[in-house]
Amino acid sequence: MESPAAGQTAPLIHVAIVEDDLGFRRALTEAIEGAQDIRLAGIAGTRAEGLKLLQGAPTDVLLVDLGLPDGSGIDVIKAAVQQWTSCSVMVATNFGDETHVIRSIEAGASGYLLKDSSPAKIVDEIRNLASGGSPISPIIARQVLARFRQIGVGGASPPIAPDETPQLLSAREKEVLELITKGFTANEIARLMSLSPFTVRSFVRRIYSKLNVTSKAEAIYEARNQGILDG
Amino acid sequence: MKNLPAIAALVFSVALLAALSVFLSLAVSGIQRSGECLHLTQARWQEVETPGFSAPPASLDSRSLPQTWHAAALPLSLHPSAKALATPAAVITWVRLDVDGAQSVAESRVLYGARLKTDGPIAIYINGKLMYRAQQRGQQWNSLFTPLWVSLEPGINDAPVREILIRLERTPSYAVAVSSLWLGPADALRGRYQIRRWLQQGLPGMLNAAFLAVGIFGLFVWLRRRHDPGYLLFFNLSAIAFAAHLHYYVDLPIAHDWFGWVVLNSFCWLLTTVHFFLRLLHGRPLRWLGRGMIAASLLIGVASLPLPWALPNTAPLLAMFYAVELLMAMVVGIVGGICTWRSSQEGRLMVVGLAICVLLGISDWAMHNNVASPEGWFLGAYTNGVTFIFFGLLMYRRYVNAIEEVEQVNASLAERLRLREAELEQSHQRLREIEQRQLLSDERQRLMQDMHDGLGSTLISAIRSVEQGRMRDTEVSQLLKDCMDDLKLAIDSMEPVEADLLLLLATLRFRLEPRMESANVALIWDVKELPALDWLDPSSALNILRIVQESVANILRHTRATAIRVATAVDGTGVQVVIDDNGQGFDVAATLWRGGGRGLQNQQRRAQAIDGRVAWVSGETGTRFTLWLPLQRGDLVST
Repeated sequence: MESPAAGQTAPLIHVAIVEDDLGFRRALTEAIEGAQDIRLAGIAGTRAEGLKLLQGAPTDVLLVDLGLPDGSGIDVIKAAVQQWTSCSVMVATNFGDETHVIRSIEAGASGYLLKDSSPAKIVDEIRNLASGGSPISPIIARQVLARFRQIGVGGASPPIAPDETPQLLSAREKEVLELITKGFTANEIARLMSLSPFTVRSFVRRIYSKLNVTSKAEAIYEARNQGILDG
Repeated sequence: MKNLPAIAALVFSVALLAALSVFLSLAVSGIQRSGECLHLTQARWQEVETPGFSAPPASLDSRSLPQTWHAAALPLSLHPSAKALATPAAVITWVRLDVDGAQSVAESRVLYGARLKTDGPIAIYINGKLMYRAQQRGQQWNSLFTPLWVSLEPGINDAPVREILIRLERTPSYAVAVSSLWLGPADALRGRYQIRRWLQQGLPGMLNAAFLAVGIFGLFVWLRRRHDPGYLLFFNLSAIAFAAHLHYYVDLPIAHDWFGWVVLNSFCWLLTTVHFFLRLLHGRPLRWLGRGMIAASLLIGVASLPLPWALPNTAPLLAMFYAVELLMAMVVGIVGGICTWRSSQEGRLMVVGLAICVLLGISDWAMHNNVASPEGWFLGAYTNGVTFIFFGLLMYRRYVNAIEEVEQVNASLAERLRLREAELEQSHQRLREIEQRQLLSDERQRLMQDMHDGLGSTLISAIRSVEQGRMRDTEVSQLLKDCMDDLKLAIDSMEPVEADLLLLLATLRFRLEPRMESANVALIWDVKELPALDWLDPSSALNILRIVQESVANILRHTRATAIRVATAVDGTGVQVVIDDNGQGFDVAATLWRGGGRGLQNQQRRAQAIDGRVAWVSGETGTRFTLWLPLQRGDLVST
């Protein structure tokens, strides 16, 4: 990764994409070209190419489509979390529906991008993600709350290694999620809770990573239950 | 190895009984010493007629008796002579045993014999001195079953025994008998004596008591199961059998005539009961036999009544009665056997038991009438044992069968329950599948309707416009964006909102936000917590989304408003969604009336479909649109 030269106002954001839809690739490329601070660092069209891409230098943001011709983008997301630890992974989706988004977040994604977004919106989302914020919709907020409620009720008992202990939501994180389900935007929530909008967005990022850890812990717990791993 | 404790318990119990029998046989091991004893098997006898029973003198010299001795071997059975029947009131039978062998007098000696049989007093003289008296008031009921045991204590009779003289008084018609005798040390003979006494009195007494106890058990079973007369008959049987066998060990003078009457008749009653029992098993009425049995019992009962005017209670008459009873037993056994052999295994068991009892009874009859040797055994005492064993077998079979039946019934019940559960599960599954299919079909229909009304028609008009070249690219793009919004809302309506109207509105805002931003309209989100709407299913969710979407679209399209305020409120029996704008108003009535108000009409139609209402209040400074929704819907309340 290039380090920004001294005196430059904004550091360059390097983006790689794994996407087979040529139309969206072009829209994306055009949007990025229009932005001064974003560079396209790599493109892959299949799952295999995507995994190969991960052997190279890490980028700041990786955009992954789930429906790849030779497999699921989820595999690429998981590999990216392992290999490009500093990279923020973003999933490209048509509708931002709960099933796709939650699965991606559990795999380690930090955000999602609606494919029909305007070029301005696309670069906004990339910048937002690179700077530590994460988008969320009311339905997904509700779903995340439900996931953590389940863990709170039934998931406290499984014996899991300390670093994989499912983390529960803090009171403020919960409050943020609840306000999102009521339709308030990040800016409105920031005002209501006397926080900066950036903090609200980073709250969501933290919640996502907790969901990722939790899903990993659950997977390990399940695996142990089935005798795949030794206790 | 699981049944190890059971094996241990079994071995322990059997070993305990074996050890006990070893102890008992050691205790009676005197039999081994009978070599030290004299077995007296030679005797002389004579009979003297007397006018009546008289007391024996304290001492008697055998030479004073008439010298008409007949030599005989012991055991000795004497039948009443025909001529004697005519004259005397009583007869004295004298039996003389001369003892030649040397005897030790250092320890106590005894005289032992299986039995002395007479109906009058018994006296025994040793060396001419009266040493033993029995039956002074006539025959005892148990005397035939009680062996003779006369102790000759050292010091009292120091001299060796040279002569034994037995004085047996009898009525002329009685058949006298004397078994062979043993003379020797008490310890050597006690085993013999005790075994004979136990087998002839003790064991029958035990069997009698056990049979009665089982009978009483049967009575209590019958008290709870009155419909099963078998148990009552069984109690009846045991009570009668108890009465019929008391004389083997009850020490009463035989002159107690009522007791004799009971003993005699109880055999009749016993047979009658057995007949009815068998009838119960084979199920044939056999009325003539039943009546015959009752008649015979009554007849014998009356004939043997110990009343002054009744027949005399003499030995030949008794022998005749017993012979009749044996005959009755055979008839009952044979008829019962024929009737029951095929049909009932239990009946077969009973008939076999009865046959054994008859044989035992015949042996008793033979003993009584001196047909068998007086050293034999009164086996009739064991009929109770046989009955007990056979009824025990019956009960054992019933008990084991009952347990097995219960187990089978339980097993089949469990099986039926399992089948029933499986059936229920299956029908439940089928119901669920039907429900699922219904749900899917509803959903499909709903989406089809929505696509048809909205997305489909918009796309068709877009295609037509593009083909006719009447539309600019930006317009086509806008139209397609509207379609995309429609699609997104349709997808959102399928997400689980869990009765949360606010979440639904939030979703709508999230989708419409970009449109409003691009239209430069400020959105004031002024919502409040709402109660849950339980009726909020995907279908009604889509209706609500479409109503609000239409409302916002109308504002953006027609009113040139710069701000929209969305608010929620609770209102009595419902909730309100209020959308205010600051654009130019419109004439609500006129718009609804004109064809151009198709959007408003659609909103009205959709609201009615979910039991809600829509209202517009429009003026110069803006329009207020209100969607009212009920907290509960009628059709849901009723279900």
